[in-house]
Amino acid sequence: MNELLESLTRCVERGKVNSKSPYPPDLKGQDGADEFARKAIDAGIPPQEILSNGLIIGMQRVGERFRNKEIFVPDVLMAAKAMAAAMGHLKPFFQSDILKHKGTIVIGTVLGDLHDIGKKLVSMVIEGAGWEVVDLGTDVSPEKFLKAVDEHPGCVVGLSALLTTTMVNMESTVKHVKAKHPNVKVIIGGAPVTEEFALKIGADGYSSDPQGAVEFLNSRCTPN
Amino acid sequence: MPRAERVDGTEAKQTQDNRSLTSKQRFIAALTRQKADRLPVTTHHVMPYFLKKYMNGISNDEFFDLLGLDPIRWLSVFKPDKSAGEYFDPNHVPGYLEAQRVVSDNWRIEHEQVSDPRYETVRYKFITPKKTLTTILQSNDHTTWVSERLVKEKTDIDIIAEFATQPKCDVEEVNRQAAAYGERGMLRGFVNSFDVYGQPGCWQDASVLFGIEDLIMATFEDPEWVHVYLKIIFERKRTYIRSLEGARYDVLELGGGDASSTVISPEILDEFVAPYDAPLIDLAHSAGQRIVYHTCGGMMPFLERLAAMNPDAMETFTPSAMGGDMILAEAKRRIGEKVCMIGGFDQFHYFKDCTTEETRKAVRKCFDEAGRGGGYILCPSDHFFDADVELLKAFADEARRCAY
Repeated sequence: MNELLESLTRCVERGKVNSKSPYPPDLKGQDGADEFARKAIDAGIPPQEILSNGLIIGMQRVGERFRNKEIFVPDVLMAAKAMAAAMGHLKPFFQSDILKHKGTIVIGTVLGDLHDIGKKLVSMVIEGAGWEVVDLGTDVSPEKFLKAVDEHPGCVVGLSALLTTTMVNMESTVKHVKAKHPNVKVIIGGAPVTEEFALKIGADGYSSDPQGAVEFLNSRCTPN
Repeated sequence: MPRAERVDGTEAKQTQDNRSLTSKQRFIAALTRQKADRLPVTTHHVMPYFLKKYMNGISNDEFFDLLGLDPIRWLSVFKPDKSAGEYFDPNHVPGYLEAQRVVSDNWRIEHEQVSDPRYETVRYKFITPKKTLTTILQSNDHTTWVSERLVKEKTDIDIIAEFATQPKCDVEEVNRQAAAYGERGMLRGFVNSFDVYGQPGCWQDASVLFGIEDLIMATFEDPEWVHVYLKIIFERKRTYIRSLEGARYDVLELGGGDASSTVISPEILDEFVAPYDAPLIDLAHSAGQRIVYHTCGGMMPFLERLAAMNPDAMETFTPSAMGGDMILAEAKRRIGEKVCMIGGFDQFHYFKDCTTEETRKAVRKCFDEAGRGGGYILCPSDHFFDADVELLKAFADEARRCAY
């Protein structure tokens, strides 16, 4: 693999954002994802290669290590920040259609639930896998999900809940979406959510961790 | 730090005869990692929503009596330091679990309703001579949450350091209520939380005021600032804990869910949580108090680290079916010799939508995995909002049959 891409992968894995970032301490003062992405573009590496062979690999490793409980939420947050710094350089290529997302997922924490961090974590890892993420935020009503589905034809819907009191609101959202868009796939997740619950409420998928959501999207959801 | 002898002598006169203990004695036996006459069984907070919706609005005490649970009374009473210009906030009507707020002319707290079609929304202003800090809370039938953080700029913590009042415990009032409560059950308090909306642990309070994600990122990007911030919060709690000397609480809560392994890493726990909360536990011990360390969420990767902070008890041991990661038998094996364990019961699956037999079986499972050696209090892993009263009765009844 190209040395620049290897560096980019390593920066995402380690959460090294840019040269000014003091984290991780052993890489202090060294270039981060921000600088390596710029260098890769300047070196003429095709944007798709930067994305697929640099950033996505890094984020995939982060997702797998998180699933294996080798790293924790803060490590994923830093990895995602490094990823975002690099993605900033690729944004113009998405806008000019040189780069294309694998698909779009409309994601949000369901009505009555204000918890953001789990949903955000999943969003970051999904984005890092090459998907466009439309984050509706927290406390999202079924109507708001439906509106977003209308605005993003062919999208997948992701529902998050942290509380046992609010996960029940996933069911009404699934029903709402499926009633108008029976072919739209819905994936759910969150601390108390189980596969059994997903089946019960008619969701198409469930994942206990962000990487599982990526695998579901890549394997079961037709890109738009 | 040496542990002071408790003013009520409960440590010393530990149960010689376990044949028939009061609820208080039963709790104390478990908190000191001994066997009682039977498994102590209680709940975490009894939510007003639950009492209103399912129990015709009965009181906290009536709830425990009706169900045959070992009772807990939550109590927090502050005392203003008049010599420092502090006084009780005349505009404050304490809400659920709240102490009467302590303010001063340099730390006035005002509030105003904010129009919001979905939730009751209140803006609080902390008025100081240099700056007014604001926070917004929202509420629904179940609970209250922060929708605008108090600490918005890093320099806001300097305002807190300079002007926040330093509430102390009203020991006389605690002891008056302890005497009135008697042997009925456990008198439980918590280390002072930040005004209006806070929680007991230093990290937890900091997180509530600044936002957990921002706080985590700050540990990477500006760790020095996070330490200054935590030190400010720590000092306020230290003042309070020092004032607890002689207060006849049975246990006080410290910690909070944002120190769970589902939120932070072992590195953050070691560098930003334990160095502040562990000394508070030592200080509480020297003031003759017991501490229960609360983490709701993941605990398994942190068990030994949390126990090393030397709390008397730990909670909530949330099962994976409720979003935690608890393997109760393993936890008992790893830390059961060191701390009393409180919680571990799956209230989401066994307080509703199941049979009484399933609830009883879940009680037995907890007892078998964590309770047989003593040092365990059966309790839902945190509070609950909805429950079938018959299942609650089965929960209490089965636990009472778990004898030593």
